[in-house]
Amino acid sequence: MSENAAAVGLHGVTKRFGEDVVAVDDVDLEIRDGEFFSLLGPSGCGKTTTLRMIAGLEYPTDGSIRIFGEEMGLRPPNKRPVNTVFQSYALFPHMNVEQNVGFGLRMQGVDKSTERERVNEAIDLVRLSGLNARRPLALSGGQQQRVALARALVNRPKVLLLDEPLGALDLKLRETMQLELKDIQKNVGITFIYVTHDQEEALTMSDRIGVMNEGKLVQVGSSEDIYESPANMFVASFVGDMSFLPAHVVESGSVRLAGGEIVQSKTDASPGTPVTLSLRPEKLHLFADVSEVPPDRNILKGSVARRTFYGESLFYEVDIGASGSFDVRVENLPVMRRWEVGDEVVVDFHPESATALAE
Amino acid sequence: MTLSNSTEEVAVNPKLERAAQRRQSWRGFLTAVPAYAYLIFFFVLPLFIVFVFSFASRSRTGRPELENWNVDGWTGLTDPVVRTIVGRSLWIATLNTVFCLVIGYAFAYWIATRPKQSTRTILLILVLIPFWSNFLVRTYAWRMLLDSDGYITQLGEMTGLWGRMLFTEPAVFLGLLYGYLPFMVLPLYAAIERIDWSLVEAGRDLYASGTKAFLKITLPLSKPGIIAGSILVFIPSLGAYVTPDILGGAKTTLLGNYIVTQFGAARNWPFGSALSGAILIVMLGATIIYFRTGARTI
Repeated sequence: MSENAAAVGLHGVTKRFGEDVVAVDDVDLEIRDGEFFSLLGPSGCGKTTTLRMIAGLEYPTDGSIRIFGEEMGLRPPNKRPVNTVFQSYALFPHMNVEQNVGFGLRMQGVDKSTERERVNEAIDLVRLSGLNARRPLALSGGQQQRVALARALVNRPKVLLLDEPLGALDLKLRETMQLELKDIQKNVGITFIYVTHDQEEALTMSDRIGVMNEGKLVQVGSSEDIYESPANMFVASFVGDMSFLPAHVVESGSVRLAGGEIVQSKTDASPGTPVTLSLRPEKLHLFADVSEVPPDRNILKGSVARRTFYGESLFYEVDIGASGSFDVRVENLPVMRRWEVGDEVVVDFHPESATALAE
Repeated sequence: MTLSNSTEEVAVNPKLERAAQRRQSWRGFLTAVPAYAYLIFFFVLPLFIVFVFSFASRSRTGRPELENWNVDGWTGLTDPVVRTIVGRSLWIATLNTVFCLVIGYAFAYWIATRPKQSTRTILLILVLIPFWSNFLVRTYAWRMLLDSDGYITQLGEMTGLWGRMLFTEPAVFLGLLYGYLPFMVLPLYAAIERIDWSLVEAGRDLYASGTKAFLKITLPLSKPGIIAGSILVFIPSLGAYVTPDILGGAKTTLLGNYIVTQFGAARNWPFGSALSGAILIVMLGATIIYFRTGARTI
């Protein structure tokens, strides 16, 4: 075991089910020690299969999985230094909270007094003290979730794997648990690998995110990298709100929309290539007249086609004719002007806020 | 604005709700009446008659007479012969239950873990196929197999491991095992199939070896099936009549045959009735205790 080996290293990991289903396709990934790493993607993208392969619940068809430099090969799950928090919690219904949490320690042959001590410590950590004798079915969803977490953490694994652990909770509880999970991760200092299809959850909790689609790892980076500089159309559309306009590269840093407007934007594509200009709704601003727009900005003229009220903000769909249409998000503040459908508007945005992605 | 208008007709009130509930429960009772009537006339009433006869007296020729009420039938239960027969029956029934459980569990587990639903269905139908032919006929088939020139006897003689088993205790045991194995497999299959396999995965993830995960998770979670299967096998094995009669000959007397003898050749109805009643009471008590303790730990 080398000192600076990654917590988990996947090299060319592929998982096939039967002849034609490729669940995970040649994934290379290094997860650092102590990191909160999220695997993000739509259902069926292979993120759960990847997690299960790290846990040893599935074996890769090809490739290598190393945990702190040690090759896992076909090692069974009980011989791997990782623990899992399952999506459905998978709490043992015939054992109470204490017995559930102590299961891993008992299986490892830890002596009774140490077991009791560590179990209570873990139950305290997830703030379930006093419920030791309860059966899982007598607990609420949030409490069951905490038991599942304690049951895994009590073993002090080198890596904790979490498979959509908050998926079954309602929105408010989910938000509380997100913060709590993040705090627990900081306190215990264990590497967390967190599988989720909820992009907001991944953005708020993770140190780094790996976005998966159709079995492939399409982008790895910090929350900001993923959000601000999506590697391709899939990431751009999956993470956050995004509007797309078809365009062609004119020269480095500028593209021409279908309606002929020239727009400054970030792009690495060579002149002439068809690209898609992607715009985040919150990075666009609406004005009544060109004279109000600050200098060095892109300007597009159009009219309001639709207005949607979201409470804290309003979304205006702006139609710019032949070039298409896109959304503009405006904070619901008293100082903000309200636009009506049909109003002529000027939209401005900074060249840095627009990314032209090649297909 | 007033809260309610008293002249307006109210669609629902507590009185109407109660009446609706009464109608509902009455309808429920009516649907159960045929079953109740059947059970009362053909089960409770005959049992009561048996109970009455256990206190009857016998004429000089052994004919039961409903006069001179006495408890001779019940005191007869302390006879050492009864103890021997009860002991033998208990032993065979227990042995049969244990063997059915071990063999049945392995088979039920194997069926329940087949990935394709269609494979599972086919295997279950195979378990049920014996029920499509008469039990008596199937028991006679065993008689052929176990007789002098039967295949099983020939196999035993060829290997030198066993001889002719017909009319011995092992023959009765084989017959009972064959007859009651499906009753063990079906409830076990139902229980094992219901198990959430992610629990076993969680066990493996929490450092349990395959064996440990089975013992600590799969086995306790299949307890409802184990209890149901054991009761379904143990009780009829204890009172088995056809199998010991046909495969055991006259040599191995078990409870069922002994009771039949009391009502037939021995002409001792009060004793036969007392014996039947005693078994019923003991089994009922044991079953209740078994279910209670089982249900609490599931």
